[in-house]
Amino acid sequence: MEGFFTLFISAILINNIVLTKFLGMCPIMGVSRKTSSALGMGAAVVFVIFGASVFTYGLYYSVLKPLSLEYMDLITFILVIAAFVQFVEMVMKKFTPALYKALGIFLPLITTNCVVLYVTLVNITNGYSFMEMVVYSIAVPVGFTLVLYIFSTIRERLDNAPVPEAFKGNPIALIVMAIMAAIFTAFAGLV
Amino acid sequence: MEAILYIAALGGFYALVYYLNHKTPKPEGCEYIDAACQSCSVGICSNHPSQNIKKEDMIHVERS
Repeated sequence: MEGFFTLFISAILINNIVLTKFLGMCPIMGVSRKTSSALGMGAAVVFVIFGASVFTYGLYYSVLKPLSLEYMDLITFILVIAAFVQFVEMVMKKFTPALYKALGIFLPLITTNCVVLYVTLVNITNGYSFMEMVVYSIAVPVGFTLVLYIFSTIRERLDNAPVPEAFKGNPIALIVMAIMAAIFTAFAGLV
Repeated sequence: MEAILYIAALGGFYALVYYLNHKTPKPEGCEYIDAACQSCSVGICSNHPSQNIKKEDMIHVERS
């Protein structure tokens, strides 16, 4: 139980995917201008990463490994993630219009989010058990959402701040991201 | 042989899901949801307004 807790806290704060690996920078920069969009994107990422991880984990151990096709994991996971996003979008359109209205706009973006592929691959390469995979697949997108939300609140304030002309837009955003990465290193001794 | 069949099946599955998704109509009130997307700068996204620019308009822009 302690191992799961360590894995969970570590994936959210200490080894935050955005601030330590610099993955998922595209949606971080693109969808962080408004807090509402950031939360919507975060919720969609949590949902898709968890679903894609469970699906790819099952596919790897029930199909790829028995058939000795482990070398095809990368192409398999890319196709599975793309198909999963299409499937989720279709189900949302059909059965949960309210959820589609809230998250649907972010779903096409998630297909190009490298965090999804990273999590599915790490679940296999690190040899996680099913429960470890579940914990890790929830913790990583939660950490992603945390950073995205904090970053969006800062960017909203930056819109009204007297930023020098040369630093407006992406330059100041990247500086803020660098400072955030430095601050998050303070969590290193937490667990 | 197994690998070829496997990847063909996976590709076919993706094509099927893609087709079904695009065939499924958007729910009422969500027809113009793309237009509400103003917060993102990812130009390759299908929601991005630049994806809706018609070919004729692009030629017009290039000429002008």
